[in-house]
Amino acid sequence: MSEIVERAALPLAQTATSRRPIGLLLVAMPVLLVIWLVIWPAINAISRTVWRTDVNGNAGFDLSSYAFFFSDTYSLGNLAVTLWTTLVCAVLLLVISLPIALYLRFSRGRLPAYVQALAILPMFVPSIILAFAFIRVLGPNGMLDILLNALGLPKIRTPYLTPWGPVIGLVWDNTPLTVLILLSGLGGVANQAIEAARDVGANAIRVFWHIILPRISNSILVALSFSVLGIFSSFTLPYLLGPASPEMLGPFMQRTLRDVQDPIGAMTQAVVAFGFCILFGLFYVRSVARNRGNR
Amino acid sequence: MSVLNIAEVTKTFSGGTNAVDRFSLDVAGGELVCLLGPSGSGKSTLLRMVGGFEQPTGGRITIDGEDVTHLPPERRPTGMVFQSHALWTHMNVFKNVAFGLRLRRMPAKQIREKVEAVLELVGLAGYGDRMTTQLSGGQQQRVALARSLVLEPKILLLDEPFASLDQHLRERLRDEVRDIQQRLGITTLFVTHGQDEALSMADRIVVIANGRAEQIGRPDAVYRDPKTPFVAGFIGLMNLIEGEVKNGHFIRSEFTTPLPIADGPATLAIRPEALDLTASNAPTARVHRVTDYGSHGLVDLDLADGTRLKSTVANLDLFQAGQGVGLLPRAVAAYRENQQIYRS
Ligand SMILES: Nc1ncnc2c1ncn2[C@@H]1O[C@H](COP(=O)(O)OP(=O)(O)OP(=O)(O)O)[C@@H](O)[C@H]1O
Ligand SMILES: [Mg+2]
Repeated sequence: MSEIVERAALPLAQTATSRRPIGLLLVAMPVLLVIWLVIWPAINAISRTVWRTDVNGNAGFDLSSYAFFFSDTYSLGNLAVTLWTTLVCAVLLLVISLPIALYLRFSRGRLPAYVQALAILPMFVPSIILAFAFIRVLGPNGMLDILLNALGLPKIRTPYLTPWGPVIGLVWDNTPLTVLILLSGLGGVANQAIEAARDVGANAIRVFWHIILPRISNSILVALSFSVLGIFSSFTLPYLLGPASPEMLGPFMQRTLRDVQDPIGAMTQAVVAFGFCILFGLFYVRSVARNRGNR
Repeated sequence: MSVLNIAEVTKTFSGGTNAVDRFSLDVAGGELVCLLGPSGSGKSTLLRMVGGFEQPTGGRITIDGEDVTHLPPERRPTGMVFQSHALWTHMNVFKNVAFGLRLRRMPAKQIREKVEAVLELVGLAGYGDRMTTQLSGGQQQRVALARSLVLEPKILLLDEPFASLDQHLRERLRDEVRDIQQRLGITTLFVTHGQDEALSMADRIVVIANGRAEQIGRPDAVYRDPKTPFVAGFIGLMNLIEGEVKNGHFIRSEFTTPLPIADGPATLAIRPEALDLTASNAPTARVHRVTDYGSHGLVDLDLADGTRLKSTVANLDLFQAGQGVGLLPRAVAAYRENQQIYRS
């Protein structure tokens, strides 16, 4: 049975591919780039961290750098703070961006246009500028402190150089993209579908929960994966705004490489980070595939 | 007893468009009323105000004596069927229909019974497990209808529900909807800009232009006795001729006919089937084109000044392009200042 199917399918597939050499070329370019720039260095890094030469010059399989990473409380602390930052940012991004996107999608008039411009603005502000603005406003003796002082109020405990510093910066930085992705998802929800739900008796909350949310779950997934991947491996904002210890994996790698001069250690950290990102990626692909299957 | 009362309802949009202008209508229980009018005349806006999707800027809407003017859609006893794109594509047919009942916390067993009964009613028995994207356009609109009907609304609102379907399907569905509507005795407001639809389905027709009711009446009455030139021109084919009345005669170019009204400008309305053509030594019109519709023929005529008229004839062979003919109206109506002032 399957033989017949295969024989029947083969000529079709052949003509289809031979008719589309351009399509194949278009796909080949990014695939080759990914192999060259991502997969090859990754394999290289992994092999260099597990296939090592010891002090006597004997090469051999060696997992000691990983054993060290996963037993060293400092490394584990850094991993934990990275995961914590990523998770908190993801939750905050959703909590902040979804209402903005909903507002932009469902309100009419001139005001939403301004709100949208405002929400997208952070996209055009470089991280460095953002970091210094943060320090000038929220840092010790920053604008907020001066303002509070002028009002006769006590100073705040500044988030600068605490784990909340990078969180605030990263959420600000990732809000525009998240809003835009959610907004495009909301664009796919027809007004009449929503009105029909109200017509059969659903109030605003029910409409959101039963009609809108299921339709944009994919967009939420896409938005979160984009930001989660970026935040997990971010460098500039945690480096400039975060505490020295524990630090996120980005600055940690940089310091291990430059200051401690331990390339194998840095590479091990990179491989661990890469592993987590692949996990996120797999989760994303699986969810999208499952949603597709439901359609 | 009137179930739906629309009193002096006005809707002015923020841009200044006066979509509905002091519109009043009484709909009796079990009646099907068609809102008929050209594009942009305010039909949808009016229907959406009854459904609660737009807020009137003036007037009152009452359903069964209860003022619903300021109630949101979810608290009105109305059910709306939209033109398209209104099904929830992430739910299957059963869930689409059951959603409203679930919101009302009805027991699952009862929901199943009701949904199956209503799917049977709209001719979709056994389709419950289908995803809505796997249905044809006609089936999708049946689901939308079932979704409204299952909640047993006091008033069913349909906004050009068949506009995106082909002619055949449209005719079949409109018969089915009429059957269901009469069987359930459900009060219905139906928006369309197709006069066939209105004439064949409605108990009463409301002809709307520029947000105002031009005429309200039974389909045959609106067809036979249009009260304004707009209605005359909008319902069915009609020859509308602008001209002058002098000494009891209507005059346009070489065409004259007796018209016992006071002198002055007037608009004469003659149905093509009420305009006979005669052989004449002094022809008043010339045949422009002859079209064979199978069941009857239609002759396009030109007056000397270029005014185009139409006449329905039984025997096409008597006429050919270029031929001169005399005109003999059998029934006419005359309008002056937008009012009917004479009917023969
Ligand atoms: N949300 C809105 N804002 C501003 N103007 C509107 C709005 N909705 C409708 N209008 C205007 O109100 C008038 C009536 O529109 P409506 O949709 O009621 O017409 P309609 O009779 O349903 O036409 P159609 O047969 O094309 O559906 C139109 O001039 C339209 O441009
Ligand atoms: Mg409309």
